[in-house]
Amino acid sequence: MPRIAYPEPILRLISGLKSLPGVGPRSAERIAVWMLGGGKEKADAIAQAITEAREGIARCEECGFFLLQENPCPLCSDPERQGDTICVVEQPTDILPIERTGAFTGLYHALGGRLSPLDNVTPQDLRISPLISRVQKRRVSEVILALGSDVEGEATAHYLAGIFREKEGLQVTRLAQGLPAGGGLEHADELTLLRALDGRRGMG
Amino acid sequence: MLHSLQLRDFRCFGQTSLHLDGKDAVFIGQNAQGKTSILESICVLLRLQSPRAGTLREMVSFESNEGFFIGGNWSDRQLNFGYGRRLKKLSVDGSTTRKTSDYLGRSGHVVWMGNGDLQLINGRGEGRRRYLDFIGSQIFPDYLSALRCYERATRARNNLLKNMPVPWAQVDAYTLLLVQHGEVLLRRRTELVTLLQPWVADAGSSLSRSTETASIAYQPKAVLGTLARALEESREADARRGQTIVGPHRDELALEIDGHPAGTFGSEGQQRTFALALKLAQARLLAERDDAEKPILLIDDIFGELDVTRRNALLAYLPEDSQKLITTTHLDWAEMERIECDIYDVKAGQLSRHQAS
Repeated sequence: MPRIAYPEPILRLISGLKSLPGVGPRSAERIAVWMLGGGKEKADAIAQAITEAREGIARCEECGFFLLQENPCPLCSDPERQGDTICVVEQPTDILPIERTGAFTGLYHALGGRLSPLDNVTPQDLRISPLISRVQKRRVSEVILALGSDVEGEATAHYLAGIFREKEGLQVTRLAQGLPAGGGLEHADELTLLRALDGRRGMG
Repeated sequence: MLHSLQLRDFRCFGQTSLHLDGKDAVFIGQNAQGKTSILESICVLLRLQSPRAGTLREMVSFESNEGFFIGGNWSDRQLNFGYGRRLKKLSVDGSTTRKTSDYLGRSGHVVWMGNGDLQLINGRGEGRRRYLDFIGSQIFPDYLSALRCYERATRARNNLLKNMPVPWAQVDAYTLLLVQHGEVLLRRRTELVTLLQPWVADAGSSLSRSTETASIAYQPKAVLGTLARALEESREADARRGQTIVGPHRDELALEIDGHPAGTFGSEGQQRTFALALKLAQARLLAERDDAEKPILLIDDIFGELDVTRRNALLAYLPEDSQKLITTTHLDWAEMERIECDIYDVKAGQLSRHQAS
């Protein structure tokens, strides 16, 4: 008895969807069937959106953030921003939350990840040399390391701090760790409190 | 106090529940029927780790393959731990806790006593470090996170040291992390051994009824405050060996009887007594640190092997009002009138109240 399977194009669609982050085999199958049936028009719109985004979007050579092809980077070309401060983040998506605070007016630099020998991510895999040349080219007075507080994030921060340590007149800082804003002490776990206590600072 | 326990697809247990109401309990059964797994599930529920080596994945029952669930009413709160597809779901009183430290902070304290404890005396240093780590992470809020970060940083550093030429800039970044987290471990372990020492000596002499003195001493490879320098000095040796050779992952806990190393000079009887003394010291220390919530004592299959005198000395030394859950293959040692407890039969992953025959 011949085994019944989906025709080849559907199988290719399913396997393509399965390779998307966060999509498992069952979801992939469901989405594929939906795209061929009830969601036909939406599927076309999505296909078009993917092509347009792929073709129309580029990365800023300087900071690594997304921009429209052929257009200047809205962050790096803004004359209002202070060019002497660079905030280093892991992913371009980390720029938005910092930007939303409205408190930072310098420039950004997205590394595209963090060092992780256990995952075979080396300095060559990240945008570290572009960062070094940016710092050398511009008169940068402060590099803010806004990286994750896990082992890999911290190791990356130490690595970068080591590189910039020798450079005169350059201050390397990192984000503080501690209590969440607006919360009472009773809501903080012991470890957070301990960190906050370690990072306490003088008043007045 | 553990009031109730619910298991699903944990080891050999399908759907099982147990109502202890905070009382002591004895579980009787032949080998490989699931006695130890019951105690293990309680340890996993309260501390999120097993006293047996092994991964959470291995604890999923063969029938299920999906995941397991352990729930329990501890003191005045309901703790739930679900594991499946490499994901952990933790909740206290129905509200999900995202951070492990939040969960552990509201969970209970555990002492595990089992046959493997003899390895603490005559086995490798790793077992003694794990003994310290298990207690340390129960009494110090910063211990477990420092330990996990230290271990991960050490693995990454060792990985880098195996490269030729050694990428020193990266290695040094990890060295700083090793110092940061390693110094926390050094400070806490020093503190911990100082707290444990009097209890170990006291428990040792109560158990053996002799004049010999059991003592423990913390022997770190690099003492508190010198880890940075020690790592600096061992750079070349590290590079040659392709691994980090100093630091808390190489610490030793020295065990001595009247000044002689217990592992090599102690008789088997003395070694067994010492192993019990270490666990009793842990029980007393945990009880002393948290008077309101005594640790739960999970005692796996050791009663049958002790003579009456030691058994009674052991029972007498356990902290008062702490709940004891005991497994055994036979009840004939039962001077059980000493403990008021419920008795359960465990057979092929099924629990039932013991029928007196």
